Amino acid sequence: MNLINAFFSSIWGFLNRSFHRLGSPREFFKISNYATPIFGLLFTVLTGYGAYLGLFVAPADYQQGDSYRIIFVHVPSAWLSLFIYMVMATASAIGLIWRMKMAFVVAICSAPIGAAFTFLALVTGSLWGAPIWGTWWEWDARLTSELILLFVYWGIMAVYYAFDERQTAERAMALLAIVGVVIVPIIHYSVEWWSSLHQGATVFRDGGPAMPASMLTPLLLMALGFTFFYGYVLFLRARNMVLDQERKSRWVRELVKSSRATGEAQ
Amino acid sequence: MSPTQKKRFMVVSMIIAGAGLAAFLALKAVDANAEFFITPSEVNAGEFSTTQRYRIAGLVKKGSVATQSDGVTREFVVTDCDYDVTVQYTGLLPDLFREGQAIVAKGTFADDDRMIAGQVLAKHDENYVPNEAAETMMQAQANKCDTTEGPVSY
Repeated sequence: MNLINAFFSSIWGFLNRSFHRLGSPREFFKISNYATPIFGLLFTVLTGYGAYLGLFVAPADYQQGDSYRIIFVHVPSAWLSLFIYMVMATASAIGLIWRMKMAFVVAICSAPIGAAFTFLALVTGSLWGAPIWGTWWEWDARLTSELILLFVYWGIMAVYYAFDERQTAERAMALLAIVGVVIVPIIHYSVEWWSSLHQGATVFRDGGPAMPASMLTPLLLMALGFTFFYGYVLFLRARNMVLDQERKSRWVRELVKSSRATGEAQ
Repeated sequence: MSPTQKKRFMVVSMIIAGAGLAAFLALKAVDANAEFFITPSEVNAGEFSTTQRYRIAGLVKKGSVATQSDGVTREFVVTDCDYDVTVQYTGLLPDLFREGQAIVAKGTFADDDRMIAGQVLAKHDENYVPNEAAETMMQAQANKCDTTEGPVSY
């Protein structure tokens, strides 16, 4: 019993320490030195392999032929648009409750990435809809709610950049992100609550995925790769923001000085 | 958590709950309007005006597609395996259009079970199947109403 307790308390201690370390801009920057290239590498490998499998190995669909292959971009983008929103809303809540600087950085840096994935999901869906459905756009529940998500992302970004004072901007942005979180379950369940042109879920549904493993594998690889892409871009953007916000602190000045010195030596 | 943090936690929770409630009420109010289409069973059960436009969705019934003499006007039956609605449509049909395929037609009712459609869309379902199984799949879809009790969902 003692052993199990010790095990869990050491794990808890580790998580707690990591959380606090990540909470400090300087520690975050140090960790991101290693994490950024790892995420970038994982993104390249997973997406590269997933795209290869999806475009060259997976069989064509019985009625859509090759045009179904846009799913390998569309579905991961749509998943990410919701996943990133959840990350952003959670970080916003942590920022508001615990007044953690890094949480706000994660939240605001996630917004444009999430907006980009939402946009990509809408555009790829439209490109697929034209030959398959016979229309670019219809105002059904799924399409409309996903479009609203794009506007919510834009609103959050606009609110942040509308304030000069950083603390006000962060809190206003976080508040909007939290209020907007209601759109996530609406998008997810839109195809179940109402009749819609958009089909129901293929992968996460009762009775298992409605597609063979030869199509599912590249889809999941792409989704995982896209997730690492989000992490990668998030690290890049957050590093930038941290350096800017902490530019007057000693560690950033020293960092700049030392990188200038190596720059001159070369 | 310190008392201040607890208070902030409560505030954040209440904001989420409030936004959720507001969204719920708003969606409740627009519920019927958020539906994209009605089914042949609903057409049969309800009263529908002949001046308003509706979308109906159903499977294209086996053996029901007929082309009129002008070559571009088609008449076919959509069904949910319980009730049928006849659709008349002039124009290009989506590539996926065939017997057993779910489609959405938008138009006005000329009669209780007859629609003059201005638009016909294919409704793709959640199934993805390798093309070597195409024949079997399409046959199973065309014969769906022979083997399944209605009303089917699509």
